[in-house]
Amino acid sequence: MELKRVSDVVWEVPRTGGMRVPGRIFASDELMEVVLEDRSVEQVANVAHLPGIVEASMAMPDIHWGYGFPIGGVAAMRVSDGVVSPGGVGFDICCGVRLIASSFTEADFEARRDTVMGELDRRIPRGPGKGAIAPGSIVEEVLADGAAAAVRHGYGWPDDLDRCEERGTSKGAKPEEISDKALTRGRDQLGSLGAGNHFLEIQVVDEIVDPGAAEAFGLAEGMVVVMIHCGSRGLGHQTCTDHVRLMGDAMRRHGITVPDRQLACVPIGSDEGASYLGAMAAASNFAWANRHILAHETRQAFATAFGVSDTETGMRLVFDVAHNLAKIETHMIDGASTEVCVHRKGATRAFGPGHPDLPEDLQEWGQPVLVPGSMGTASWVLRGMEGNPAFGSAAHGAGRLMSRKKASRQAPGREVRAELEEAGISVRPLSVGLLSEEAPYAYKDVDVVADVCERANLAARVARVRPLGVVKG
Amino acid sequence: MTYRILSHTADSGIEATAPTLPDLIAVLARGMFDLMAPVEPGEGAEQVEIEVTSGSVEDLVVDVLSDLLFESESTDLLFGDFVVAMTGATGARVAARGVPISKTGMTGPPIKAVTYHDLAVEERDDGWYGRVIFDV
Repeated sequence: MELKRVSDVVWEVPRTGGMRVPGRIFASDELMEVVLEDRSVEQVANVAHLPGIVEASMAMPDIHWGYGFPIGGVAAMRVSDGVVSPGGVGFDICCGVRLIASSFTEADFEARRDTVMGELDRRIPRGPGKGAIAPGSIVEEVLADGAAAAVRHGYGWPDDLDRCEERGTSKGAKPEEISDKALTRGRDQLGSLGAGNHFLEIQVVDEIVDPGAAEAFGLAEGMVVVMIHCGSRGLGHQTCTDHVRLMGDAMRRHGITVPDRQLACVPIGSDEGASYLGAMAAASNFAWANRHILAHETRQAFATAFGVSDTETGMRLVFDVAHNLAKIETHMIDGASTEVCVHRKGATRAFGPGHPDLPEDLQEWGQPVLVPGSMGTASWVLRGMEGNPAFGSAAHGAGRLMSRKKASRQAPGREVRAELEEAGISVRPLSVGLLSEEAPYAYKDVDVVADVCERANLAARVARVRPLGVVKG
Repeated sequence: MTYRILSHTADSGIEATAPTLPDLIAVLARGMFDLMAPVEPGEGAEQVEIEVTSGSVEDLVVDVLSDLLFESESTDLLFGDFVVAMTGATGARVAARGVPISKTGMTGPPIKAVTYHDLAVEERDDGWYGRVIFDV
């Protein structure tokens, strides 16, 4: 597939065939070499076929091959005549990352390392199937109100909501659009991590690049922080499955054809579109609450391990942001303010300074953007920049470099664990064998991804954090 | 009846061949659960049954595998033994036998869902061919 260099870190996939707009990939030469090894460029072109898409089918620097949309894909469709596609959100609806500050230093953690890890190991449900911190009886309330419902039931602090995207509650949720099957899966999983690339990581801030923004975000060099990556669990997976299934027939009725069935879509204004958006918002409320409940339990673990109250842990929320979501937003398109449905599939919202959706104390700096790396390297806190060229979006992680199969052939999980422990990173996996698939070498260099984000004006570097301990499914 | 694991950057998939469509569904189901943890046929003591009617054979494969994932998660069972009977051109009844996840553990990441990406279910001269990509 033809690629045209536009600038140092921007590439264009020219329009061909049924593409309604060109493709645009934000990547350096080094990252592009890897991109060309799989089918992600083809997926960028496929997304460009969707009705109502504006400007370009975009991909972030951590782009890699997904299903339907590429991972790292961003596409905005006009609300007036465009479509919504569950494939542009993914099965793990509202999967995202939250970062929690603390009053502890690395030395504090070292003194209680085993106790902290033991408490987390004991308290954090993870792995497949059932296992939850919160009772299933509050799931319906959570579907309607998200993290706010979790706070009402004693999980987390009310102030935390100020630092959540959407304040932790997606507008327009329609719990009645969530199927009984999805509810069955969700009732036993509220407050659980899951498995795969999801994690809870204890980290230390080891480099500050932007002191002003870091201070505004509540970060300081040497501070212990906690990063949590997870989503809407089986409830979200089932909701996406249910709606993609329904959209096959609906597409035929609306006369829509797509180059990949996983790009199934319907007009945003149609009954099927409204049904999906309502269900997606309800499932995202489950995800906001899920991370809120896990953060609450993490605070309790630290409080117990250090023998202090939870308020004395200083574990305030830095930010919680999704990277699998479709949202109705207003952006300037061809000089006109236009309502669009922005799909971010493995891409983080990254609003710049002055955006009205940001809390007042972050207006000067822009939104915190969380970019986890691998469990053996580092992660980045970025901030949204003015003039972001991708509808206010940035990368969501380092991006996979190696397939799971290939990664698992490099070394057994016990060796990966031993190497991490040797490097001072405690690991509490549910399955030691699965560590090999998530080994550091399976991912691209997160420092390069963060650097390209900044060079492409997507998000600017604020602080680098490195892992001290990892809890995984 | 054989299946092969396909390489995919972030997710995983399998392709399989079988003499008949019900055999293909059974081997694809076997392959999907093997990706998470192999359960020997005959090992499972607990059984579930599902019945699915879909609009096409492609949809039937996705719907059966999706429903088996639902049954697995809601019962905490991993399945390894499948008996598939067609109830029409695009309908099937599946009996799956499995063991509790707590007994097997996991050798691969849990599969979140069955996708339509690169999906293929075709009758060929020598039998049936299927290819399915999973979100993990």
